[in-house]
Amino acid sequence: MPEMDEFESKLQPAFVRRPAPPGLKQRILDQRNRRRSEQFHRRVVLWQRLAAVFVLAAALGGGLTWRHVEEKRRGEAAREEVMTALRITNHALDQIQARLAARNRADHE
Amino acid sequence: MAREWQPDFERLVDEHQSMVFSLAWRMTGDRGLAEEIAQDVFLELDRHMHKVESPEHALFWLRRVAMSRSADALRRKRVRGVDLWVEIEENHGAPIEEKPSPLGARLEQLLTTLPEPQRAALVLRYQEDLTPEEIARTLESPLATVKSNLQRGLKLLRAKAECNLKDYLRPGRGPERVVGGA
Repeated sequence: MPEMDEFESKLQPAFVRRPAPPGLKQRILDQRNRRRSEQFHRRVVLWQRLAAVFVLAAALGGGLTWRHVEEKRRGEAAREEVMTALRITNHALDQIQARLAARNRADHE
Repeated sequence: MAREWQPDFERLVDEHQSMVFSLAWRMTGDRGLAEEIAQDVFLELDRHMHKVESPEHALFWLRRVAMSRSADALRRKRVRGVDLWVEIEENHGAPIEEKPSPLGARLEQLLTTLPEPQRAALVLRYQEDLTPEEIARTLESPLATVKSNLQRGLKLLRAKAECNLKDYLRPGRGPERVVGGA
């Protein structure tokens, strides 16, 4: 189709690339730098948040552990007190029983 | 394994900004939008620099993304209900730094009135000098579709040129020589 070829030959020069607007490259580079610094800032904030979460988790875990240990210690102390009270009571009862036995023996004699 | 070619972003922008901007402008018919698209395309390239394997790959990638971003921009405009063609008329009336030849300007103007797939095929064919096979790869379309779009687009552009570019007709020529003698 020769007429098509001629039309196409007119199209080629009409469709040459247009020069990019002045400053386009600089705007692209500026945006790229802005995006990178935003990414860096976001990453820093993310790490800060992660560190904060870690510190909070550690504090919470430490607190819970301390509470558990403290409760156990108090339980042990209470058990010791009860055991001491039981020992004292036992000793007192033994003494009373000994006195009663001595009195019974004296009554029989 | 180390790559032989290390992409340099600034150099790629230098080399291809005109190509990306021209594709976007001819696809959208809007200079401001074309600038935005060009910026987006290069920022996208910056995000995907690690995937770019060679200068040819970078060129192919830029063409493909520029065309797809332009199509997205046109779709968004259509969704927003903006009368694109009115805008195009206005934009073509706006002053620009480098005016192409009068015939070129008129042909460009007519190009913006073609359906999008035909426009895309013609722009890649005549601005970028791509073969139908390369256009098909760039647009991720079947080859037969691209060939059909090229044929239909040319036919429609010729018909429109016959009606609108009478000033450029050579006297005494047949209707098939509609754009000769500008």
